[in-house]
Amino acid sequence: MLQALLISNGLQGLEKYYVSNELVQYTICPVTRDFAPDLTPYDLLVVPNGSDHVAMLKIKEQVRAFLAAGKALMCCDGFFTAWVPGNQWVMDNSRRTLDLRYTPGPDAHGLLENLDLDELNFSHGMSGWWSCGYIQAAPGAEVLLADTWQRPIVVLDEVSTPGRMLLTASGPLADVTYAGKSETALVVMYRNFLRLLSSETVPAHG
Amino acid sequence: MAKIGLIFNGVWSHYALATAPKYRDLYELLYVHELTAEAVQHLDALAIPFQSNQQVLTEKQAIIYDFLKAGKKVFLEGDSSTAWLDAQWEDRPVNNYWWVDDPTNPPVSETNYDHPVYQGLTPRQACWHTHGVYTRVPESAEIIQTNATGDVITWQTHAYGGTLLATTLDPLVEHGVQQITHLDNYVDRLTYWLSGEQPSAARMTIDAAAYGVGAVV
Repeated sequence: MLQALLISNGLQGLEKYYVSNELVQYTICPVTRDFAPDLTPYDLLVVPNGSDHVAMLKIKEQVRAFLAAGKALMCCDGFFTAWVPGNQWVMDNSRRTLDLRYTPGPDAHGLLENLDLDELNFSHGMSGWWSCGYIQAAPGAEVLLADTWQRPIVVLDEVSTPGRMLLTASGPLADVTYAGKSETALVVMYRNFLRLLSSETVPAHG
Repeated sequence: MAKIGLIFNGVWSHYALATAPKYRDLYELLYVHELTAEAVQHLDALAIPFQSNQQVLTEKQAIIYDFLKAGKKVFLEGDSSTAWLDAQWEDRPVNNYWWVDDPTNPPVSETNYDHPVYQGLTPRQACWHTHGVYTRVPESAEIIQTNATGDVITWQTHAYGGTLLATTLDPLVEHGVQQITHLDNYVDRLTYWLSGEQPSAARMTIDAAAYGVGAVV
């Protein structure tokens, strides 16, 4: 079972979205003034929607060392500070969200398997609901989803570090299928990533 | 020079708003973990956005109440911990699509458009979605917005010296997110009420240089 450290920014309800299950055991780590978590016991670092990217910048070197050890990072949207190795999220509102559609790219590990792309393209018939900037992806990283203007929206980076990073421009990805609820596209993608990390047949360093 | 302190816990939507060229001279980001009484002395108003770190705000509530005691304004949006507020906030499902599914039944049914923030706004500009409700507010509170069942969405009190305006709307966060196109109206009214400064009439834009290594934190 994966051991994951879930960074908490003290927001209402975060624990409801990340519940330990057969794939992963979550340990919640609140951000404090002296934020300096020990990452070494964990396989996966989860930085969810609404996270504190000032705090994450302070532990930039610890994150880099964590990934250098072959571990994994999942970061959902909004990394406006430069703490994610090789990749940068940027806000943008110069395009009409009404025109936004997602296109799948190469997906060597099947992270998009069983994912209904229309769930990301439309909600209640409206497009643009999942629009939050884009990622300046590292050269060689796999762009799993691009937007209408070919900007990276979901990136799997196995080249910038010896570890793996799943990065999304929009959030949240969440792990809420423990109660047998139907799996939404965002849950499917996240759990596909957990299965990839859990798989003994796939090397931790691609 | 900025007149409004935006209490900030490293969330991107707070950052996007406060660094946007339209607003960056009016809002000053105040990182909540480093918040001190000295850091707010020069400001006219504080804004506490949705997705704030309620636990740390509770620890630092004296800074907020001392600011009010000095006769200044505090704006609080979204969800809120009852540990530092004399009110009862309760969670409710967020309805983002009432305007598609049931446009005659918005999450806010009554609004006092005499309040300076709401003057001149259309009903649509005064309500997009809500993050919970207040089921109890201070005895001194004026009710500004309610929903169809009478729960309080927006209220205001002068009981602490200055003015505390609280709402379960989330104009600052959603304007940072930039998926709701009419929010310049609400946020510009709010900004003027808080600071006495009128933002430019232009639509909010993003300065890409404020992201990445150029981030101002």
